[in-house]
Amino acid sequence: MSSPNGKLTARESNALDMRYVFLALTGALFVGIIVYPLYHVLAKSFVSGSGLSLANYVKVFSNPTNFKALWNSIWMSATTSVIAMVAGTSLALFVIRTDIPCKNLLRIMLLMPYAIPPFIGAIAWTQLFGPAGYISKAYINLFGSYDVPWNIYSTGGIVLVMAMYQFPVVFITVSGALGRLDPSFEEASRMSGANAFKTMRDVTIPLVMPSIMAGTLLAFVGAISNFGIPALLGFRARFYVLTTRIYSALAIPDMPLATAMAVLLAITAGAALFVQIKFEKGQSRYTVISGKSVRPQTISLGKWRMPIFFMVVAVSLFASIVPMASMLLTSVLKYWGAPIKLSNLTLKHFSYVFNLEMARRALKNSFILAVLAATVTMALGAVVSYMSVKAKMKAAVVLDIVGTFPYAVPCTVIAIAMILAWSKPPIMLYGTLWIMLAAYLVRYMPFSIRTTRATLQQIHSSLEEAARMSGAGWLQTMRHIVVPLIKPGLIAGWILVFMPAFRELTMSVLLWSQGNETIGVVIYNMQDAGNTQIAAAISSIVLLLILVGNVIVRKVSKGQVGL
Amino acid sequence: MGIGIEVVGLFKYFGSVAAVNDISFSVKEQEFYSLLGPSGCGKTTTLRCIAGLEQPSKGSIKIGDRVMSSASEGICIPPEKRGIGMVFQNYAVWPHMNVEQNISYPLRITKVPSEKIRDRVNEVMDMLKLTGLGKRYPSELSGGQQQRVALGRALSIKPAIMLLDEPLSNLDAKLREQMRFELKDLQRNTGIAILYVTHDQVEAMAMSDRVAIMKDGVIIQEGKPLDIYKNPKEKFVADFIGTTNFIECDVIGSSASSTDIRLESGSTFTVPEATDIRGRCTLALRPEDIELSAEGTDGFEAEVEVGIFLGNVIDYRIKIGNSKLRVQSTVATMFRPGDKVRAKVGRVVLFN
Repeated sequence: MSSPNGKLTARESNALDMRYVFLALTGALFVGIIVYPLYHVLAKSFVSGSGLSLANYVKVFSNPTNFKALWNSIWMSATTSVIAMVAGTSLALFVIRTDIPCKNLLRIMLLMPYAIPPFIGAIAWTQLFGPAGYISKAYINLFGSYDVPWNIYSTGGIVLVMAMYQFPVVFITVSGALGRLDPSFEEASRMSGANAFKTMRDVTIPLVMPSIMAGTLLAFVGAISNFGIPALLGFRARFYVLTTRIYSALAIPDMPLATAMAVLLAITAGAALFVQIKFEKGQSRYTVISGKSVRPQTISLGKWRMPIFFMVVAVSLFASIVPMASMLLTSVLKYWGAPIKLSNLTLKHFSYVFNLEMARRALKNSFILAVLAATVTMALGAVVSYMSVKAKMKAAVVLDIVGTFPYAVPCTVIAIAMILAWSKPPIMLYGTLWIMLAAYLVRYMPFSIRTTRATLQQIHSSLEEAARMSGAGWLQTMRHIVVPLIKPGLIAGWILVFMPAFRELTMSVLLWSQGNETIGVVIYNMQDAGNTQIAAAISSIVLLLILVGNVIVRKVSKGQVGL
Repeated sequence: MGIGIEVVGLFKYFGSVAAVNDISFSVKEQEFYSLLGPSGCGKTTTLRCIAGLEQPSKGSIKIGDRVMSSASEGICIPPEKRGIGMVFQNYAVWPHMNVEQNISYPLRITKVPSEKIRDRVNEVMDMLKLTGLGKRYPSELSGGQQQRVALGRALSIKPAIMLLDEPLSNLDAKLREQMRFELKDLQRNTGIAILYVTHDQVEAMAMSDRVAIMKDGVIIQEGKPLDIYKNPKEKFVADFIGTTNFIECDVIGSSASSTDIRLESGSTFTVPEATDIRGRCTLALRPEDIELSAEGTDGFEAEVEVGIFLGNVIDYRIKIGNSKLRVQSTVATMFRPGDKVRAKVGRVVLFN
């Protein structure tokens, strides 16, 4: 009796040991690719010449240009996030809580800029509002003036374009909170005698305030970490922020200075995220526990209904459709500035792109990198999440935290960490494609852990237990129950890593080398060198791929996930 | 078949908390046995230890003559090797498999030939009135139907033992009542031994051959439903099983077949029950064991506070001095608030 029992017990404990082996390997990998490089940034910033010192920081603060870059970063991001807060919150209130028409369509349109890479957006805005832009020319023709009263290559231009790509963050957080808010809070206010407007002012907005603040801080972090917009619009105006100064410092190269600025950038973004998490926790106190979706009463806008509708439509058009149309138009015009008529349309820029060795190489490189980054991060993320959510292993919780930490580290800082860690023996990755892969793995690990964790949390453990009671072992339970149930989540998560990795710019622009270009780098360099239409053609291809990917994600996840 | 469960000296600690604190009981072959108790009493943990989903800290579990787990011998057979059917509280019907696939899964995993699987699945679906729903997915089924699928999945391998963890608690009242009868019939027809976990005393009373009342990780009383109902060993059991009035009183005299009792209000009466208790005690009185009449000399005098007509019974609240009692009376005449009545007492239980 006891001998077969003994055997089974031993096998069971072997299965347990295997899980620890998995965890130990993942842990070692995390230390190697995340902890070790990031530690290097901090350490390096305190070393100058002979030994430990604050010399690099002194340099940042003593050079007025560097100091100005820090200051510019902060106030540019602060202004951006205030605009994003006002726009994102009012749009969320209009779309979720009023009787505005076409709600669903408006919601999707307002989320679209979230999917457009900001640097491609910035290029589109120069095509629209730049000196020879479509809208600038239309203005000149219309009013017969010689110039336009705006300049896209300015701090104002940067803030405006940045706000266009950050307000969806506020919109998403606030509309999510509004959706989860218990409608009885608002109903109680109406029953107490407050009208719709007073209810919104006294009850709704105060209750979602934590989410408004959390969204605003996320917009701040997004703005301060962004490279594409201040690079494409700011260099000409001699307006420098930390990310663009670091780019210049690496071009010299002045590694210690770049590192010190990177640490400052990381500290600023990290502090904002720390406060953001506090606000996020505050919001959870007000959310509905039951998750029952009770349709809250909508506020009637009365005679303002149509004016507000057209205003929201205009905002959403300018945030997504207009830039995309401009990009497409630019890519099919015979020459930049050509009058817009049928005879001036051509596909020659696309055929040029497809015949350009560098562009083909970049497409291939970006594709390989994105596939590898998505596959590896999703596999590791699934293991870590399973062990921490389902197997409830303490060691896995630590890995969960380590793997999620890079979320708080701006891309520029991750890129610097990669250069510091992987450009000296024993592992020389600098100058190869693989340094970008290393960077992408660090960057996208948090996303993968988050999506796999959310997916696994939806699977009640009794579903696994029922399989065990039906006679299935651990591996069979995995194969027949867990994997099929989380597959849609894994596929959606894979695409959600693939797409941003495919068009990544901020890290790639610091890590690429001749022959190892990525698609983002090629677009940036083409635009920088004045080849607007080549840049537009490649951007159009990227935008098309993003749209297709988004449709697939929505299909797979049944509308629950999208960019 | 003829296989039962034997649990001896079972302990289960979560950290330093003993969720199960030295429990022993046995379920005989073909018996319907319930673990009944309030939430947090350790009943589900006990069930999960038997299933193999939790590893006991101490004690042993035998099914038939197979040792399933024994802490002292270091044996703990994984759940999939125990051959037990189990129905979960939330059904745990797999959303990515249709009804047939859910029910046939235990057969497929044990590599039963496919024609036999088909026959058995059809048999189970007929038995559970799921015929024609085989291709439906759980999201297209009602709660009651999902419940049947979960039952079917547990029954498909013809287990000798089935564990049910509050399987009816997510159903509405009407369906729950209907399922009670069906579960009982099912058990009779299949001859399975069932271990049933619930916090609903009516459910446990209605279906079980024997019931164990649990509290704080221990079994307080075990026995046939009627015996427990009639002779609760502790105040907790009397309170938990059915509705009970508790009144403080004094025993002022007793004989071999009756006891004289004085209430705090001063009224005295005799109950047809012998006791060893002297002096201060608690009297437990079932609402249906009190009979109200307009006149007479039996029992004690009381005043009707309120009476609610419930259809089959009238639910009264009556006042004796400062204490209030609940009475369920089937008498056709209805007393009005303020009426003075005689309350005649039938069975009582006295606690120290």
